[in-house]
Amino acid sequence: MFHSFNKPLVAVLLGASLALLRLPAVAADAAPVDQATIEANRKANAACYECHSAAAVKKPPRADLDLSKLKESHIEPAIFNPSDHGVMDCRQCHAKNHYTEYPHAEAGKTTTSPCTECHAAKSLRLEPQFNASVHAKNSGLKEKFSCNTCHNVHVNVIQKRLKDPEKIVAQDNHGCLECHNSETMFARFAPDDEKLAGGKKKRPDIDTIHGWLPNAKAHWNAVRCIECHTPEVAEGKMLSHEILNKEKAEKKCLACHSANSSLKTRLYRHLVKGEQQKYGFTNSVILSNSYVIGATRHPLLDNLIIGLVLATLLGVLAHGVLRALAAMKRNKDQAK
Amino acid sequence: MSERTYLLPLWIRLWHWTNALLIIVLTVTGVSLHFADPKLPLVEFSLAARIHDIAGLALVAAYAFFALANIVTGNWWQYVPKPPGVIDRCLKQARWYVWGIFRGEPHPFPVTLQNNFNTLQSLIYWAIMYLAMPLLLLTGLIFLFPEFAPDRLFGMDGLLPVAVLHYLTGAAIVMFMIAHIYLGSTGNTVGAMYKTMITGWHEH
Ligand code: HEC
Ligand code: HEC
Ligand code: HEC
Ligand code: HEC
Ligand code: HEC
Ligand code: HEC
Ligand code: HEC
Ligand code: HEM
Repeated sequence: MFHSFNKPLVAVLLGASLALLRLPAVAADAAPVDQATIEANRKANAACYECHSAAAVKKPPRADLDLSKLKESHIEPAIFNPSDHGVMDCRQCHAKNHYTEYPHAEAGKTTTSPCTECHAAKSLRLEPQFNASVHAKNSGLKEKFSCNTCHNVHVNVIQKRLKDPEKIVAQDNHGCLECHNSETMFARFAPDDEKLAGGKKKRPDIDTIHGWLPNAKAHWNAVRCIECHTPEVAEGKMLSHEILNKEKAEKKCLACHSANSSLKTRLYRHLVKGEQQKYGFTNSVILSNSYVIGATRHPLLDNLIIGLVLATLLGVLAHGVLRALAAMKRNKDQAK
Repeated sequence: MSERTYLLPLWIRLWHWTNALLIIVLTVTGVSLHFADPKLPLVEFSLAARIHDIAGLALVAAYAFFALANIVTGNWWQYVPKPPGVIDRCLKQARWYVWGIFRGEPHPFPVTLQNNFNTLQSLIYWAIMYLAMPLLLLTGLIFLFPEFAPDRLFGMDGLLPVAVLHYLTGAAIVMFMIAHIYLGSTGNTVGAMYKTMITGWHEH
């Protein structure tokens, strides 16, 4: 895929203006949608939920539905509506006029609008990053990879709106682990193994690869793969889509485990503005979710402890010197 | 001067030096973890974490051995301050540390087989070995297996109280250790008590 990326810039811009013509509500980079439009869209989508929902699978509205296939299409209003695209009409992405009857026309099942159509500006920025990423550079992967390989458009919510770091981690790591933790999914994308005729490259086990990281499992629940596998970007800039290989990935513990933790500009970037040193802790926004050794400290307590230890040291030192002096004096007195 | 008592059995001496070595290793690596900073010349973080984990588990084992041996041999009795007159004896001992020792006065409570520790000593040792140590070990173990920590507390991560308690009890033990090493020099001669902990023999 990525068909539009391989073409020159004009094609991208053309796609953007076409999108503008087709959908006045969506600007060159998907603008917020007003309340009236949202309600109209939700009403329209109800027509799809008549069949595309768990309730319909249990109690089909028609006898001739291919239920085995329907079961696999997990679209639920409770999940779709709060998602990034939940404000939209399904048909804005799914070829418009093919759902009036069932079974749908072939185009209705296979054609979806490319992301660039509505996210031209962001896609433009992401393209060089993606092209430099491991999934584009490793042989034969680029053609199979598209934006929705990682992004579940019906479900995902961006960091800024999802807010809870635990949920962000779960969502974003799921996008990577879907392949990197599954033999079948990985094999579908993996390049051929040069040594094994007809065989696919084997999936390296994630926990084994990261054996140098203690408590790897605790880390998977508290940080995202992209924390270490993407280059750091300036504050306010969109997270990079350049997935780094094993040579370039972050291996330094102190990147996160220090007072100036990079978690501030990554997983917690949307929360740092509200940093209030709760209960006197530095990086207390991180502490709301994770105690991170070295990063979430209490300067006052630290100074108190350092002070007490120093006082103990000085105390025994002074006692020792006085004792020695007193002993010397006693010895002198005895000698007299 | 030539009178000797066999005061400390081998198991106590072995345990004591193992304990001492582990605590020093845990202190150095613990400080490296807590004060992790690219600008400070400390033990590298992942190395510190690995050593701290292993030494921590070793200290848990050493403590289990200590607790068990104490019960079996009855040595635990040494740690119990015996009334009446506990406060009086503590004051007397404290007075010796801040005054008598400088004037060359003899120890107010000479060491005997029945009373190895003076009362002040037994009180402090009791607090360290039966309060601070178990807390330190328990919080260390939870740190190692964080799934046993509470999930959340007062809107903060549940590991926070565990970490703070680990830090405070660790600090208490470090301070105790500094005073303890120094007070080891207050025997009949400067080296006498260190020697006893090596040979087991106390010279009167
Ligand atoms: C009358 C029931 C019904 C309605 C209404 C309906 N669908 Fe479907 N749709 C199905 C069934 C059943 C399948 C799976 C079987 C198949 O592919 O033929 C399907 C398949 C699809 C597929 C392809 C899935 C795949 O895995 O290939 C898409 C996309 C789709 N529908 C979108 C929509 C949209 C968008 C709407 C609303 C505008 C809608 N459908 C309305 C019954 C319905
Ligand atoms: C932002 C664009 C977008 C919107 C809005 C959207 N979809 Fe999709 N949908 C897609 C894309 C892209 C795919 C292809 C996913 C893939 O290939 O993995 C897809 C796939 C599907 C499928 C196939 C099965 C699956 O889960 O992959 C169904 C069914 C479906 N959509 C139904 C809907 C319904 C119903 C709605 C409205 C409630 C909707 N879609 C809204 C983009 C969209
Ligand atoms: C038909 C137009 C359309 C298409 C196609 C589309 N989106 Fe969107 N997208 C939107 C709209 C509208 C929003 C919501 C903007 C808002 O609420 O501020 C959005 C929001 C998002 C967001 C949230 C971040 C942001 O920029 O607001 C992401 C991430 C996203 N889309 C990814 C994708 C991906 C990946 C694809 C392709 C699989 C895709 N979109 C396809 C219209 C589209
Ligand atoms: C290798 C997996 C992967 C691929 C491929 C991918 N993305 Fe993403 N993308 C992510 C992850 C992970 C995030 C972080 C989501 C978040 O905000 O929590 C993200 C974030 C985004 C955002 C929101 C960025 C922000 O900070 O506002 C946009 C927009 C986006 N992606 C668009 C795209 C588009 C368009 C493509 C195709 C060119 C694409 N992505 C391909 C994984 C991927
Ligand atoms: C659709 C499946 C899929 C998804 C989703 C996916 N990957 Fe991959 N990834 C692969 C395959 C296949 C390879 C190629 C393995 C090879 O060439 O040996 C790969 C390779 C890699 C490599 C190794 C590059 C090297 O050094 O050889 C890294 C690192 C990586 N992915 C990280 C990620 C991250 C981080 C995410 C989520 C943001 C992610 N992947 C999402 C399938 C996937
Ligand atoms: C703490 C930082 C960090 C996190 C978090 C992290 N990685 Fe890695 N990852 C690395 C480093 C560093 C390497 C290189 C290891 C080496 O050189 O042995 C690596 C290697 C890899 C490889 C390459 C294997 C190979 O041999 O080519 C893949 C694939 C990978 N990681 C995927 C992931 C996925 C998926 C996640 C999320 C579940 C993830 N990583 C989370 C730092 C991290
Ligand atoms: C991407 C940021 C990041 C990097 C890099 C990182 N960590 Fe962590 N680490 C975390 C976070 C966040 C937690 C908190 C986990 C939790 O909440 O359970 C953590 C927790 C830990 C814990 C405590 C686990 C527990 O709860 O008992 C240890 C030990 C640890 N990391 C060691 C390391 C070592 C060693 C390295 C380098 C090899 C490293 N980390 C690199 C983010 C990171
Ligand atoms: C005198 C003894 C000890 C001292 C001074 C000490 C000190 C410390 C300090 C300062 C930290 C950093 C935590 C933070 O930043 O809040 C730490 C972490 C930790 N401690 Fe200890 N500790 C001691 C004994 C133990 C023991 C006995 C155990 C195990 C049972 C243990 C297990 C841990 C664990 C698991 C961590 C988390 C880091 C890691 O996994 O290495 N500690 N310790």
